[in-house]
Amino acid sequence: MSAQHQQYKFSEIIADPRIRERWEKVRRYFFLRESTYDMSNRCNIRCEGCYYFAGEKQFAIENSDENSWRRLFQSEKERGITFAVLAGAEPSLVPHLCKICYQTIPLGAIASNGLKPISREIDYRIHISVWGNDRTSETIRKAPNMLARQIANYKDDPRAVFVYTFTPENIDEARQVTKLLTDNGRQITFNMFSAPVGYQGHLRHTSETLKKTREVMSELLRDYPQTVLFSTYNIVAHTEKSALHELFSCSYPRMNSSMDVGLGRTFRQYRTDLQWDREAACCVPDTDCDDCRHYAAGSALVTARMYRHAIDPVTFSAWLDYVDTYLAVWVRGYDKGVNLCNTFITPPPKN
Amino acid sequence: MSNHTNQTIARISEIIIDELKLEDVTPETFDADLDLVDEVGVDSMDLATVALVLRDEYGIRIDEDDYPKLTTVRIIAEYIIDKQNSNE
Repeated sequence: MSAQHQQYKFSEIIADPRIRERWEKVRRYFFLRESTYDMSNRCNIRCEGCYYFAGEKQFAIENSDENSWRRLFQSEKERGITFAVLAGAEPSLVPHLCKICYQTIPLGAIASNGLKPISREIDYRIHISVWGNDRTSETIRKAPNMLARQIANYKDDPRAVFVYTFTPENIDEARQVTKLLTDNGRQITFNMFSAPVGYQGHLRHTSETLKKTREVMSELLRDYPQTVLFSTYNIVAHTEKSALHELFSCSYPRMNSSMDVGLGRTFRQYRTDLQWDREAACCVPDTDCDDCRHYAAGSALVTARMYRHAIDPVTFSAWLDYVDTYLAVWVRGYDKGVNLCNTFITPPPKN
Repeated sequence: MSNHTNQTIARISEIIIDELKLEDVTPETFDADLDLVDEVGVDSMDLATVALVLRDEYGIRIDEDDYPKLTTVRIIAEYIIDKQNSNE
């Protein structure tokens, strides 16, 4: 639903005190400019459908020289990067390198499987990947008691947010996992399995599993509002039949040739040999762009489309909920507000 | 340069200074030929914010694909005047 019939000025949209307050809250973070870094080419588990072990980046030589990393992060800071995302294959295996990054760029997030705790002195958001309940994790990730170990490792740790990746096979398990995290005072956000290039396995979503995922996400957002960091518009953006690029036009260099402004200008995705390739630069390299519904991609893509959403109070509220969610998931110390829009709106077209 | 263009440049400068809270700059001293990204430090979200205020001010739509072209205040002013003329 959106009020398409009336033409609104932006000043009229933000005249609503709730909208204006949220707008002022989120715009203070518009200074964030991200790049991502593969920290190690090793991982302590092997998961089916893993993005890191698709494509060529897994074969990059691992540079473990601290001075080289220090110089890299310093140069990144100097060229305006204010937010670091540490990923691939498993950053917790190289905590000394994570620490160097944190000392240079104090805002960031680490994507981890959560099996090896990361020292609290690295005060980044920590995204702990969850792919179902423990039985499913053992099947797909070949690791027993994943969730119990992850929760124990990050008990009472405000850095942690659990990222539940919906595959076609674990949709119903999200209820059990969310309840368990609620009981343990933890927070969860949702990701969608997005096929790596060439992947034709059973984890690729279908229109039926997208619909079912939407229903379960909605149920959990309604039933666990304190636990679930998500919004109705997040659900829309990530479970539409069309993937993110078709809906919002991907801003990452791999799909965006512009080097003039925005992510096309600033974003780089460094591999473990400290090299990067503009042709491959993407928040989750080697994802099939036509199937990309990844939460990290959406955080940048949807957020960047502010102008498109500033057409009426409802649509702009939905966009603000998305940005509020994105900041709560990625930025330490940012608290998510109550969602402003609880109706399913259609993503506005480009023109 | 026409008086209309000068007025448009002055108003856009005022909007950018106000929206981006630029210190130590006034519309009179703001160089209309500065590169907004490289020399003023405007990023894509700043540009989107300015575009929304310009939409209110001039009643014109700025296409997302045009953002990279809007590199200086003078170019923005010419873009707006062109849009206004084509809408007439």
